[in-house]
Amino acid sequence: MADKLPSEFDVIVIGTGLPESIIAAACSRSGQSVLHVDSRSYYGGNWAGFNFSGLLSWIKEYQEESDVGEEWAAWQELILETEEAIVLRKKDQTVQHVEVICYVRQDSDDPIEKAGAVQKNPVSVMSPGLNDPLDTVDTSCSDTSELPAPHNEPETALEVLEVEVTLEKENQHGYTSCSQSALERDIAEHVPIMEDVANAPKKHWITYSQIVKEGRKFNIDLTSKLLYSRGLLIDLLIKSNVSRYAEFKNVTRILGYQEGNVLQVPCSRADVFNSKKLTMVEKRMLMKFLTFCLDYEQHPDEYKAYEQSTFSEYLKTQKLTPNLRHFVLHSIAMTSETSSNTLDGLRETRNFLQCLGRYGNTPFLFPLYGQGEMPQCFCRMCAVFGGTYCLNHAVQCLVVDKESGKCKAIIDHFGQRISAKYFVVEDSYLSEKTCSNVTYRQISRAVLITDGSILNADSDQHISILTVPPVEPGSAAVRVIELCSSTMTCMKGTYLVHLTCMSLKKTAREDLELVVQKLFTPYAEVELENGEQEKPSLLWALYFNMRDSSGINRDSYNNLPSNMYVCSGPDCFLGNEHAVKQAKTFFQHILPNEEFCPPLPNPEDIVFDGDGVQPEVLVPKPDTAKEVTGQRNPEEHAQE
Amino acid sequence: MMAIRELKVCLLGDTGVGKSSIVCRFVQDHFDHNISPTIGASFMTKTVPCGNELHKFLIWDTAGQERFHSLAPMYYRGSAAAVIVYDITKQDSFNTLKKWVKELKEHGPENIVMAIAGNKCDLSDIREVPMKDAKEYAESIGAVVVETSAKCAINIEELFQGISRQIPPLDHHENGNNGTIRLGNQTPQTIRRCC
Ligand SMILES: Nc1nc2c(ncn2[C@@H]2O[C@H](COP(=O)(O)OP(=O)(O)OP(=O)(O)O)[C@@H](O)[C@H]2O)c(=O)[nH]1
Ligand SMILES: [Mg+2]
Repeated sequence: MADKLPSEFDVIVIGTGLPESIIAAACSRSGQSVLHVDSRSYYGGNWAGFNFSGLLSWIKEYQEESDVGEEWAAWQELILETEEAIVLRKKDQTVQHVEVICYVRQDSDDPIEKAGAVQKNPVSVMSPGLNDPLDTVDTSCSDTSELPAPHNEPETALEVLEVEVTLEKENQHGYTSCSQSALERDIAEHVPIMEDVANAPKKHWITYSQIVKEGRKFNIDLTSKLLYSRGLLIDLLIKSNVSRYAEFKNVTRILGYQEGNVLQVPCSRADVFNSKKLTMVEKRMLMKFLTFCLDYEQHPDEYKAYEQSTFSEYLKTQKLTPNLRHFVLHSIAMTSETSSNTLDGLRETRNFLQCLGRYGNTPFLFPLYGQGEMPQCFCRMCAVFGGTYCLNHAVQCLVVDKESGKCKAIIDHFGQRISAKYFVVEDSYLSEKTCSNVTYRQISRAVLITDGSILNADSDQHISILTVPPVEPGSAAVRVIELCSSTMTCMKGTYLVHLTCMSLKKTAREDLELVVQKLFTPYAEVELENGEQEKPSLLWALYFNMRDSSGINRDSYNNLPSNMYVCSGPDCFLGNEHAVKQAKTFFQHILPNEEFCPPLPNPEDIVFDGDGVQPEVLVPKPDTAKEVTGQRNPEEHAQE
Repeated sequence: MMAIRELKVCLLGDTGVGKSSIVCRFVQDHFDHNISPTIGASFMTKTVPCGNELHKFLIWDTAGQERFHSLAPMYYRGSAAAVIVYDITKQDSFNTLKKWVKELKEHGPENIVMAIAGNKCDLSDIREVPMKDAKEYAESIGAVVVETSAKCAINIEELFQGISRQIPPLDHHENGNNGTIRLGNQTPQTIRRCC
């Protein structure tokens, strides 16, 4: 079923991260023929999200040192004397210091871990063998025994055991010290014992095999971001109609961290007035200040004198208690104590306030199933307008015409030469030779699975963002995003917590572990005497560093042809503004006279412009249900 | 007023088996010989009654991403049902059906309703896939199965009725999509799947 790729396109895009995917969609939308490839088996590059087993495969890939280079057809013979090659990288180098720590029981004799086959491909598809796709089709088709009963789904385990895991249970809260034997616990867990007259309901211990078994409930993003409700990405999603491919949740809480406690920060007017933490005086102060921030530019005399000071200094001159200053600085403006000036702070505060209320009482949205859906939505848009998609498709080199200095083709891993007018390449594909003058910053990331929220409340289904100010000199402010199970990113009874900061120390773990320790305790199957434990428990943790390739000047790359554009990977910021801006800039270079992702002239539903049927005139009649009612966007129905 | 339930249905199957034609027939009662391979079409809806509910099918087409085995997982998200199409005149398209089923089991939602459509049954004189094979296979995986012809409007309605019948009745307890937001053009719309 795999056809051969056409040998000519208008635009070739390499990498399926957010900016590349937006460019692909925009070009395709404007009538360009687009080939969009990724050498990985999943969409999104460093913007991807994985289910649990997919994430384990990803981890394994980066923990493996060896370069298991497949045999690629030689490209050298395929270029002419008048041409030269820009060779691309074979193995990705953007992720380092990957560390996994499992805090929950990992019994190897757990029945579930024996169950299934290894899922080789984390996210996507029936990836064909690189050399002969048909081969793969045949072999696995003959295998009908694969059709699983719900209980032995082929997604668990063998791989689970191969991942390098630091086991901390022994030296921290060993199970050995627990009075109940593992066997007894197993029984208690799996078999409801009638005679068990224990007064309190038995706590349900979470085990590693449970996480693995429910692995598909997880959607774990490599990059943790939110969408500002009036940010560029939301605007683009709406304008282009790509929004129909995704659903969102409003972030429900803005949290602050002060003196070792996690507190909810009131930010909307209603929040401020309902807050029990603030005194009447504080409420008035805060409202007055926030109201000023909304149109600070109208009152330059209020801040002119402090333009050169830090925002934190400026806040001290305002009528605000230390409490309030802290919240404004860290949780609302989310700027740094030392490095951002008054104007940055005011602008960020205003941006925050302006985004409030559009979809809910915080300024942020989070996509169901995770941020990793965003690139995929744009890819779908591109495909809908005829773009061609190929994952597992590596590109060996770009071919440059020596005389004109322009790029004219790529040579893929099959040795196929595919020509195009424009080339968009994600930074991580570039070789050391191209990037020898580039210095990259690093992002430190942690992904935690926990058993409780960092701030307990009436509901267990909150989505929260917390900024933890630097915990010691020389460390960075850490952004914490806690996702509940209704975001479709983790299994019931757990939370998925993302930590992000600019890397200052050697590894992500060094950058983030202190904050993790302040917010969580290692999981222990011990019933606490005095009831509720104050901090939620850590079940599983992953640390890694990711290269930040944003903000790199085009001239820093060596010998870029003028028709080649380099997209950055994810940056450290909360929003997606950089990716959208970059995509738009490149698009406008490529097609200066075209609008960027214009709205669809007709809803894309109407394509069958056949003679007989005029879908537009079919008006839904409420009483005859068996009518075509779907000629419009679901959104538009709301307005009828 | 009957309750409307939105049901996302995704289409799967090899290129050229007639996925788009099936949707086009179902939604618009129209067939076009020269239908371009799914450009611009990816999302059609049609509402049909089922018991005391209305089922509003949101039908997603692959947009060609399956051609090089590159369907995005977001394609399956939240699908209530999948229609897996093969061409009864092409044995190959039936063989790959099993791959699509496997793919669905790996990446689709857990309780997805599966319906198999053996399309182009108007061409039964050049049939390669016996009905019996499809029936047996469908039974083994608990899927609905019918032979259809988008061209001659055979069994297309029945296919979707079959899906409707398999959809479990609305569970009022797990109405868990509270607060889910769809971005509209101006007014954000909070989805209510039951009135
Ligand atoms: N005889 C006959 N031809 C059909 C039938 N359904 C579709 N076709 C023809 O089969 C061809 C492919 O149909 P499409 O609906 O485009 O197939 P598809 O599965 O959407 O293909 P892709 O979008 O490329 O994946 C077209 O030429 C249709 O006219 C049918 O029931 N009978
Ligand atoms: Mg089609």
